[in-house]
Amino acid sequence: MTGSDSSMIPFMAEIVASTPLSADTSLFRLRLDQGIADYLPGQFFQLSVPAGGEFPVSPASAADGGGELEFCVRRVGQVTSHLHSLGPGGRVGLRGPFGNGFPVAEMAGAQILLLAGGLGIAPLRSLLHYILREPERYASVTLMYGAREPAAMLFRDELVALARQERFRLLLTVDFVRDEPVDGRVCTVGLLPALLRGVKVEPAATWAAICGPPPLYACLVAELASLGFADERIFISLERRMKCGVGHCCHCALGQLLCCSDGPVFRYSAIKGITGAI
Amino acid sequence: MPNTITENNLRLLIDALVAEGTRVVGPKQADAMTLYEPLSSGAELVLGALPRRSAKEAFFPLCEDILSYEKKEGKMTVEDIDLSRLPDTVLMGALPCDAAAPGILDAVFSWDYNDEFFLTRRKRTTIIGMACTKGDDACFCTAVGYSPAESRGSDLFLIPLEGGKLRCQVITDKGNLLLEKHKPLFSDEEGGTALPLAKPEMEKLDLAKIRGWLEKNFESDFWKEIAQRCVGCGACAFICPACHCFDISDEGSEGKGKRRKHWDACGFGKFTNHASGHNPRDVQPQRYRNRIMHKFKYYDDKFGQTLCTGCGRCVRACPVGIDIASIVEEINNKG
Repeated sequence: MTGSDSSMIPFMAEIVASTPLSADTSLFRLRLDQGIADYLPGQFFQLSVPAGGEFPVSPASAADGGGELEFCVRRVGQVTSHLHSLGPGGRVGLRGPFGNGFPVAEMAGAQILLLAGGLGIAPLRSLLHYILREPERYASVTLMYGAREPAAMLFRDELVALARQERFRLLLTVDFVRDEPVDGRVCTVGLLPALLRGVKVEPAATWAAICGPPPLYACLVAELASLGFADERIFISLERRMKCGVGHCCHCALGQLLCCSDGPVFRYSAIKGITGAI
Repeated sequence: MPNTITENNLRLLIDALVAEGTRVVGPKQADAMTLYEPLSSGAELVLGALPRRSAKEAFFPLCEDILSYEKKEGKMTVEDIDLSRLPDTVLMGALPCDAAAPGILDAVFSWDYNDEFFLTRRKRTTIIGMACTKGDDACFCTAVGYSPAESRGSDLFLIPLEGGKLRCQVITDKGNLLLEKHKPLFSDEEGGTALPLAKPEMEKLDLAKIRGWLEKNFESDFWKEIAQRCVGCGACAFICPACHCFDISDEGSEGKGKRRKHWDACGFGKFTNHASGHNPRDVQPQRYRNRIMHKFKYYDDKFGQTLCTGCGRCVRACPVGIDIASIVEEINNKG
């Protein structure tokens, strides 16, 4: 689409690595044919596979001035299945970045509480990497990450390694464990909201960022409210079926707002009144 | 100075435009129904009809290619669409409800990102509107601030007169340019009395009051009452001059294909569905609510216009008899 910019014409990229993270989820590292991958944590791209179509997805990496970026993708629908069938050397298209991303400038200087459920770890990993690049700019970072079961926990080894840093506190939990022993697993068993209840935070000096499956938002927001978090200090990254990415096609409307252009990161205070937003 | 044109000369005008290479779109008999379609000669123009579908296709086709891709020597190339090939167009004989709609859509197609497909067609199209003598009992343009005599959105505006002539009002410079170019086909006679216009029965609704009620009633049993029976067929959206949501899909093989933009409808069950199975609007009343909210609140809040010109097409097309006019009237009375 000839436009006032190139938001509609995809730029091509090559898969340089695909790493399975769980039974159905892999990390795809892409290298752009040309240029630098510039984006903020929480922004999203439209990723396309030739003959497959597009899907909206936030990078799991933080922009590092180079031409590579990572996407954590679950094999769940038509295009993602197509992507999963490609290995290194596979060609994909990207449009974007779209949307606002996390307000990283505003978050500097404060304590950061990242709350991730399941695949919601992807955009928060981007934010975590961004923060840990200059950790001295933040008072502290806590990541609380809940997965369905140990085998579904993504990036566990990487996160555990990162947690050796002084300013980064990591709390992992799983909803349940099966019969097999969970030897050496650094995690607790229980739901994320329950884990949050037992953690010491200073709500007035902390920014919370949430990303996870839809049922998780309301529970976590309620927990944060009971801990004393103001609605303005909670950021939620929402998932909608963005199609055009530029605020025209109406697929991602949340009441008056559009997830693609007003979000996908929303301050809870901005979406609190919209029934069905979370 | 008044300008009038005979019906015969209007057809000659179409012939002249077609001869110079202009695409002329106007009401045309297409089997059993009248549709806005490209005319190959003035003889094809049907005057005094209510075309089944709106005229939005002249600006926003049901389906169009937005890029193509091809793998050549192992390398994928992406080709943009050459918009310089879009033809100069005259939309002839558009009803006031159809002539007004493209101007409403300018706002969304240029608010953040410029949709050059739509905007280029807009730039290259002259709209010759025509006062409406044909309305039926589904029409409600008067309820949403338009009328059978409304020239808003037209570049030239024709008013049918007794005796077969039409008075031509110049509304914009673009219209004037077209008129001046074909001046010999027009005369400066008064031309007689205007034919009686259609008389939609509904009085103007208080659109601000409707917005106020919608603001407070996102959660209301009203939505279930009016839309439980909606079958989600999408006819209302496809036939509407102002509905503009679309989908994007890729068609072709791994080696060669096209990306296409095509109409969609917020009433479709899968419109908001995610691959994961999560569907933010998972029942029909929520989808119908979105339709009403978007037309009568969201679009107005954002762009200062109502996304409805009262053409009545959705009322005529709905297989289960949902009548948007009576719905907004009811909201007006509640508010």
